[in-house]
Amino acid sequence: MAANIQFDQVSYTYQAGSPEAHEALSDVSLTISADSYTAIIGHTGSGKSTLIQHINALLKPTNGTVTVGDFTIDNQTTNKNLRPLRKQVGMVFQFPEKQLFEETVIKDIMFGPKNYGASDEEALQAGLKAMDLVGLPQKYQDTAPLDLSGGQMRRVAIAGVLAMQPEILILDEPTAGLDPRGHDEIMQLVQQLHEQQHMTIVVVTHQMDDVIQAADQVVVMSAGTVQKVGTPAQIFSDKKWVKQMQLTLPTSTAFAAKLKAAGFPLMDVPLGLDQLTMAITQTLRGDSHE
Amino acid sequence: MANIITVDHLSFEYNEKTPVFKDLSMAVKAGEWLAVIGQNGSGKSTLAKLIDGLLEFDTGTITVGGLILNYENLAAIRDQIGIVFQNPDNQFVGATVEEDVAFGLENRQVPREQMVKLVEKNLKLVNMWNFKDRIPASLSGGQKQRVAIAGILAVEPQIIILDEATSMLDPLGRQDIIQLIRQLKAERNLTVISITHDINEAALADRVLLLNQGEVVEETTPAQIFEETDKLTHYGLDTPFVVQLAQRLRDQNIPIPKQYMDEKELIQWLQTYNSTK
Repeated sequence: MAANIQFDQVSYTYQAGSPEAHEALSDVSLTISADSYTAIIGHTGSGKSTLIQHINALLKPTNGTVTVGDFTIDNQTTNKNLRPLRKQVGMVFQFPEKQLFEETVIKDIMFGPKNYGASDEEALQAGLKAMDLVGLPQKYQDTAPLDLSGGQMRRVAIAGVLAMQPEILILDEPTAGLDPRGHDEIMQLVQQLHEQQHMTIVVVTHQMDDVIQAADQVVVMSAGTVQKVGTPAQIFSDKKWVKQMQLTLPTSTAFAAKLKAAGFPLMDVPLGLDQLTMAITQTLRGDSHE
Repeated sequence: MANIITVDHLSFEYNEKTPVFKDLSMAVKAGEWLAVIGQNGSGKSTLAKLIDGLLEFDTGTITVGGLILNYENLAAIRDQIGIVFQNPDNQFVGATVEEDVAFGLENRQVPREQMVKLVEKNLKLVNMWNFKDRIPASLSGGQKQRVAIAGILAVEPQIIILDEATSMLDPLGRQDIIQLIRQLKAERNLTVISITHDINEAALADRVLLLNQGEVVEETTPAQIFEETDKLTHYGLDTPFVVQLAQRLRDQNIPIPKQYMDEKELIQWLQTYNSTK
């Protein structure tokens, strides 16, 4: 049974008690439902990465509680007994391919399961299954990770997380630095894991076009607080507010805004190329109800 | 326009298994903005490193500003070229912003008094003077890239190479750096080579060079290459948003002309068409 993620009045202070103390999260309450696809957006330094690191207790709240299914994490939580939680919550960090270190692809992917007590055979099976999930042909299992392309290396890194069979997958800017093909591949992979494996997905991203394509819930962060939670349409309908949050609009929405400003009547706030094409076509065919 | 960089029949391999260039020839004109595009592994970044003498090539000739790239000319050539790399954290060498910008000048043994002036001038140019005492950890990626650019400008190169310099930045940081480079290029008559797979960044260039597996597939204007959407897709690149939109609208029988229009032109066209229909 998949688990809900619940933040209850969570605050987090880096280097608490020192003159360098810096509050990165402040009174955050938030629900991320099991099986949802949640995008976390916000400008650099808004607290996104701090927030997600609470979900598998890499960081523990200075105040408040985080619950993930049956687990409760608060400032009394110790590093003992966190293994089941960390197995349940898979974390893909930024540029995860930098953490590949084994001499072959399969060894790298098997590292996690083995570390959690799986036998060689169990780890191998989990590893092969994970390779399959990320779409890496088995012929690559004995390849050195560094001989692969950037997009493939990132798949290996994600496979290493998936080999632990998590129910919740957290990805911190999973497409940063990839070329367009690699970007699309990773986005499709995440979508598949969500739809076919019913994983709960939490993605931190700067790519608003990815947000509108994939997410059913968007969390907007600023200065360590949650500013708004809503669907992509709700989040991007207020252009001024988005700018105030130091965020950009999805490409299609931004284009629509400029078109409107130039005096071209448009209905709605189009999210994505399909909606924008439809809105422009409606106006030009004269069936706009302006 | 004269060529400021020429690459002639260049060959280079990292090892026998991975040849990058077999016979590459290309040129960069003085004062132009050249975008080098192509998917990961096409040889874009390797080319930049070869031009700056960071990698040693096997055969062929490279000239920069009239000098042939060899051991004797290496220092003189590097003085002409500044590279902004992808990862802001990998190029911050000073303990503070001010020290970081001074680094290149110290290496060139610029007298202290002059150095202090140059650091101030260039940090002001990139709007980072107020941050001069800050440590790198307290800066955003975009701010670190600004500092890197100030350090490069301080030694007054003629050529700036952006090697995926904006790809790790958030959208606002990205816009900000590109805007800065455009302004600096205009003010200082710089030659800019931007190595990128951001097609919207390539749109700003005077000329685009499309590389695939170490070969020049195409050398043309952005407007020309953006019309060849099949080719862009084939080489793993994106099609600019406005081109995609124009195509979708044509599919809906909106009579948008076939040639490339940038965002402004497309908005203008739609507006005019709507008011005269």
